[in-house]
Amino acid sequence: MRDNSPTPYSYSPWAGFLSFLVPGLGQIYQGRVGKGFLFLVCLYGLFFYGMALGSWKNVYLPDTASRGGIYNPWSLPVPAANLYNRLQYAGQFWIGAAAWPAIWQYINYDERQDAGPIFGAFERTPNEEELNRLQRDGDKTWDLGWVYTVIAGVLNILVIYDAFAGPAFAEGEQRQKLHQEAAPA
Amino acid sequence: MNAAPLFAVSIYLHLPILIVVISLVYSATRFERWGNIISEAVRWGLRMSAFLCSIGVVLFLISLFI
Repeated sequence: MRDNSPTPYSYSPWAGFLSFLVPGLGQIYQGRVGKGFLFLVCLYGLFFYGMALGSWKNVYLPDTASRGGIYNPWSLPVPAANLYNRLQYAGQFWIGAAAWPAIWQYINYDERQDAGPIFGAFERTPNEEELNRLQRDGDKTWDLGWVYTVIAGVLNILVIYDAFAGPAFAEGEQRQKLHQEAAPA
Repeated sequence: MNAAPLFAVSIYLHLPILIVVISLVYSATRFERWGNIISEAVRWGLRMSAFLCSIGVVLFLISLFI
């Protein structure tokens, strides 16, 4: 099965941004449809599989720094301290739009409510009692789930770079062209 | 020797999807042609499986003596 879709020869920031938004969208935009769908299915598959393993409650950004004390020992800016306290989200973030509801929930978090506006409980910080229950009764799948979501996010950084600059190794005509350019005159 | 706990822990059943996705996505960011992508993905899948299995065997052997 040979893919004759064009390989990008120059940098493409817009395609990189599209692949950040939705994994593989940048490649589809460039005409590399097969690879684009491969990235889309694999990364969304892994990300949502991880979320399902964690009962859909392992992608969130909690507001812990405002409690002060051990939650912000170096007096970092509150968003930075919150991210430090939940480093998993720094990896999950790179999956793109699928992780954005967590930011919305973080901005609109009200501990007196059971759900946030628009997204309800999706990617909303679980309360302490629920977190304990998930980790106690989940047979480690809650933790395994967030590992999967983080891996999906980090893999998407490679996909973004692929859309931005093309694949790591040149092949076929592109390789010949590079050899010709490198050869002494 | 009681090997039952090895098979009772279903958490490992989630591992194949991880190996398949990492192999395919990583390989597809290295190459453009499907033949190269698939062969690289198979190589990476086998390497990762062998690495994880060897860790599993070592941990299992250690658990026999502790």
